[in-house]
Amino acid sequence: MRVFLDLMWYFKAHKWRYLSGILVLIAISVIMLIPPQIVGMLVDRVSHKTLTTALLIRYGVVILTIAVILYILRYIWRILLFGAAVRLATQLRNQLYDHFTRMSPEFYHERRIGDLMAHSTNDIQAVEQTAMQGIMTFVDSIATGVAVIITMAVSLDWKLTIIALLPLPLVAWSSSYYGSLMHHRFGKAQAAFSDLNDRVQENISGVRVIKAFGQEQVEEVNFRHLSQDVVDKNMAVAKIDALFDPTISLVTGISFFLTIAVGAVFVVHGHLTLGQLTAFTMYLGQLVWPMLAFGWLFNIVERGHASYDRIRVLLATPAAITDHSDAVDAVPEGQIEFHMDAFQYPSQAAPLLKDLHLSVEAGQTLGIVGRTGSGKTTLFKLLLREFDAAEGSIRIGGRPITKYKLNSLRKGMSYVPQDHFLFSASIAENIAFAKPTASFEEIQMAAKIAAIHDDIVRFPAGYGTIVGERGVTLSGGQKQRISIARAILVDADILILDDCLSAVDAKTEQAILESLKANRSARTTLIATHRLSTIEHADYIIVLDDGCIVEQGTHEQLVLQNGWYKDMYQRQQLESLVEQGGTAG
Amino acid sequence: MINQVDQMAEVTPTKGVFRRLLGYLRPHRTLLFGAFILLAVATTADVLGPILIQQFIDKYLTPRHFPTEPLVILGGVYLFLQVMKSGFNFLQLVGFQNAALKMIQALRIEVFGKVQRLGLTFFDRTPTGVLVSRITNDTEAIKDFYVTVLSTYVKNALLLIGIFVSMFFLDFRLALFCVILAPVIVYIMMMYRKISGRVFHEARRKLSQLNAKLNESLQGMYLIQAMRQQERLRSEFGEVNGDYQKARLRNIRINSLMLRPLMDVLYLAVLVVIMSFFGIRSFHSVIDIGVLYAFVNYLERFFEPVNEMMQQLNVFQQAMVAGERVFQLLDQTLYAPTQIGSANPEIARGKVTFDDVTFSYDGETDVLKNISFTAYPGQTVALVGHTGSGKSSIVNLLMRFYPVVKGRIMVDDVPLDAYSDIELRNKIGLVLQDPFLFVGDIAQNIRLGNEHVTDAEVVEAARFVQADSFIERLVGGYQEPVRERGSTLSAGQRQLVSFARTMAIEPKILVLDEATASVDTETEEAIQTALLKMRRGRTTIAIAHRLSTIQDADLILVLHHGEIVERGTHQELLAHRGLYHKMYLLQQGGREAVQL
Repeated sequence: MRVFLDLMWYFKAHKWRYLSGILVLIAISVIMLIPPQIVGMLVDRVSHKTLTTALLIRYGVVILTIAVILYILRYIWRILLFGAAVRLATQLRNQLYDHFTRMSPEFYHERRIGDLMAHSTNDIQAVEQTAMQGIMTFVDSIATGVAVIITMAVSLDWKLTIIALLPLPLVAWSSSYYGSLMHHRFGKAQAAFSDLNDRVQENISGVRVIKAFGQEQVEEVNFRHLSQDVVDKNMAVAKIDALFDPTISLVTGISFFLTIAVGAVFVVHGHLTLGQLTAFTMYLGQLVWPMLAFGWLFNIVERGHASYDRIRVLLATPAAITDHSDAVDAVPEGQIEFHMDAFQYPSQAAPLLKDLHLSVEAGQTLGIVGRTGSGKTTLFKLLLREFDAAEGSIRIGGRPITKYKLNSLRKGMSYVPQDHFLFSASIAENIAFAKPTASFEEIQMAAKIAAIHDDIVRFPAGYGTIVGERGVTLSGGQKQRISIARAILVDADILILDDCLSAVDAKTEQAILESLKANRSARTTLIATHRLSTIEHADYIIVLDDGCIVEQGTHEQLVLQNGWYKDMYQRQQLESLVEQGGTAG
Repeated sequence: MINQVDQMAEVTPTKGVFRRLLGYLRPHRTLLFGAFILLAVATTADVLGPILIQQFIDKYLTPRHFPTEPLVILGGVYLFLQVMKSGFNFLQLVGFQNAALKMIQALRIEVFGKVQRLGLTFFDRTPTGVLVSRITNDTEAIKDFYVTVLSTYVKNALLLIGIFVSMFFLDFRLALFCVILAPVIVYIMMMYRKISGRVFHEARRKLSQLNAKLNESLQGMYLIQAMRQQERLRSEFGEVNGDYQKARLRNIRINSLMLRPLMDVLYLAVLVVIMSFFGIRSFHSVIDIGVLYAFVNYLERFFEPVNEMMQQLNVFQQAMVAGERVFQLLDQTLYAPTQIGSANPEIARGKVTFDDVTFSYDGETDVLKNISFTAYPGQTVALVGHTGSGKSSIVNLLMRFYPVVKGRIMVDDVPLDAYSDIELRNKIGLVLQDPFLFVGDIAQNIRLGNEHVTDAEVVEAARFVQADSFIERLVGGYQEPVRERGSTLSAGQRQLVSFARTMAIEPKILVLDEATASVDTETEEAIQTALLKMRRGRTTIAIAHRLSTIQDADLILVLHHGEIVERGTHQELLAHRGLYHKMYLLQQGGREAVQL
């Protein structure tokens, strides 16, 4: 029941809705007390032969009136309470989404998308059920229970009431016991399903690898095991689930037995009329629902409790990257300086960047090369503040990037990541992603610079072509160029290209680099690449190895140094020269 | 941003779905029959209760006649029935649940297995999310169908029948009055189904849009943040969320108007009928109070099953929609091309021949036109050309990912179709452009499901592609956990692992699909050395962006718009001064000055 306390903030925020809903529920419980009384009176009148037509009509009219009133009241509380629960779910979903947008990449590194999705769907659903069925059941079962028991005891017979209710604590005890078992097992069942889901997701995503290596049968066997696990875990839940109803109906049955047996004695002794006994059993019948409901309540609440805990843990995860209190709201411009003593990702042991000191003048182009894993992407991630470096600082225009508001900092940068992610939207919308207000001309211009315009107009729907998960399939090169166009449209002072031309052929790459150069005079560009030709014309080039700058300078300077760059460059040159020599004879 | 409607969600269940879903009951008929018997006995015990009480009231209580022995028997029978009912109900519920879970497992395995056999043509057309949802969520919805149908409908139908039978036993005429209830309830149910079905479906559709939006946002969050679109995306999400809420509220309104509140009105109305019936009859004859008691008691029990069934109608409907979608998938015929005939030839030499192959993905635009070439055993054939020139399509056909319709592909002079899947997958090793890694560890990713590959062989394969040095530097070495899609490794490291994976099966024919595109030059250098070693004794079909990596190829095919426009060795092609020569010059770029 603690989950109700946990959700109190919401109940308080909507107290009138909840209070009126609860009042209506209580009113219904009270009105429901009337029909059994009338049936009881009828039975007594019949047995005493004192029933008249007028009386019979009056009974009928009263009950039918009650029926209409109950119908209206029942409609009202449902709208009030169920509506509130649906709104709670909407609010939680928005909260979670909001929270997700504040979480830095570190957060996503540590979690699977599938799990986050599960929290946002299944867990919210469970909480909604708690606020919906849970609250209703809680209030209704208590209101009905109390009203019925009082009526039984006061208007009929208190001794019989006590006897009839004797088995009741058994219901409370077993409900709570089953509930705790349920909670435990349900969590395991959910986890098993989630594993299954992840597995399928991975299988479908990796279908080419699976087919290329003929792993279909292995995958099937694995899936069989996982699905068996789901069955086992669900069976464990089902066994507890199946205990609720029979237990409660057994207790009810015993209760009825006691009522009739003892009630009969009371009737014989004249303490009770036959009509009263009939009314009494009708009331007992009304108690079955609260008892059953209490069983479900534990069930629902246990699920909601577990789910809400998970949501709260998620919502309580602090944002790793936040605005500092003294951050300024200015778009950074000017010289970029890196002073990194050491940086490592939170989950890794060895530092990725070491003793990295570097400055890039405004308007310059910096080329970053180095073998895979040497820290090129990490450098960009630090500049974008996807992670914060504990030891060292990065300054733009003399001010540490942590002293800019995050929003302003990123406003100053156009970023083309290594993996080209497109959203399920039209090409135009994807290009204008960072600038939704862009005109069609601007979009086209960016596409032309990125050398993707011609490809786009060749699609039947042109710029309106839907891409992404549910859209047309684009080649890697096309996706890369669209993501370049997306960054170009932002037109920020600092452009970051993270090895984003790998799937583009040499001719296109050259075209893109040339039009970039023409369109970005006096802007700063940072390019990481594996192709030396890409950065040959850069103002400054650094060579990273194991997170350290091992060489730096212009292309001309670097080829004069006896290092990695020259080595690489010479190897390529050698190949070309050998080739040229071959043909030249 | 436009939210594309999940097209496969827009299906209306056909009549066959229900029958087909029931078909899955057959393998479990013994279990189901057992559970049904238990249920029938439990239900009988249940409806006998009020009759026993009626007997007690009319035979003993009203006439004040209390013989000990019959009363003890009556009480004993009553209690015995209660205990039996509870016990049997427990067993019955477990039995039905067990059957439902087993059926769903069978269905899931069937769907999953089916998907494994489908061809890439199918995967190209179906988004991953939709497919995953078919296999897990839709089958989960069908589970609800089995549980609902078996536990709720069968149980409640039996209970209702039991109640009617008991009513007829007690008082034939009054029971007739009550039977009139049945069509009224069925009518309300049908009305409800008609009205709520639409609204319910609408809510489901909104939910699927909501989830799609969320899923995509989570995947692209780094971009949303880098491009500062959090605010916009939040409001877009809020909008979809708001739409979903509206649909849900409409749903609740309809449920509130037509479900339990309406049933309660009906209950009270019938109560008035029963009261009037007894009241009027009491004016001219003596009536049995016990019968009145039993009727009122039955009436109370009557509406709970009806309520349950009404509430499950939408689950039922939803399961039908889910079933339709799952069956659509099961009926899918876009199979992966597989062995034709049973000759089981073996790939011994590794000769690859393309004979006038024309190919189209969509049946309209040909992406390959009249491709013919031969790679003799041990030779390297390189494919070069623009993006979209058809290089990958050649690889896709050789891997038998897509069926060859026009022309022939032969391996060792035997049509590709004649080989078994196992032979093909073990002898042709593919290195993919996208080095997909699975959740597990490094060793598992190299070995995959090939359990015959020993640990030593895994290490050997890694060493072969020079991946051993980075792997050994990892904290866990070969047991270092690999996260979703290998996100903790760099692109080059992922590539190296995928190379090792290919080497572990020691293929006869090597297929490299733009494998060298995103590895830095030094790693590539290392790989080139490894490839050279690997290529010894292996036929190689290679796609490369950098012409420098394929200069020693025995045959270079230059593709343009799906056609081979030039062919020859590096030297020949350079001398030819055609497209290849142009591409070569372009790649050399600004270095021409140095070269001259």
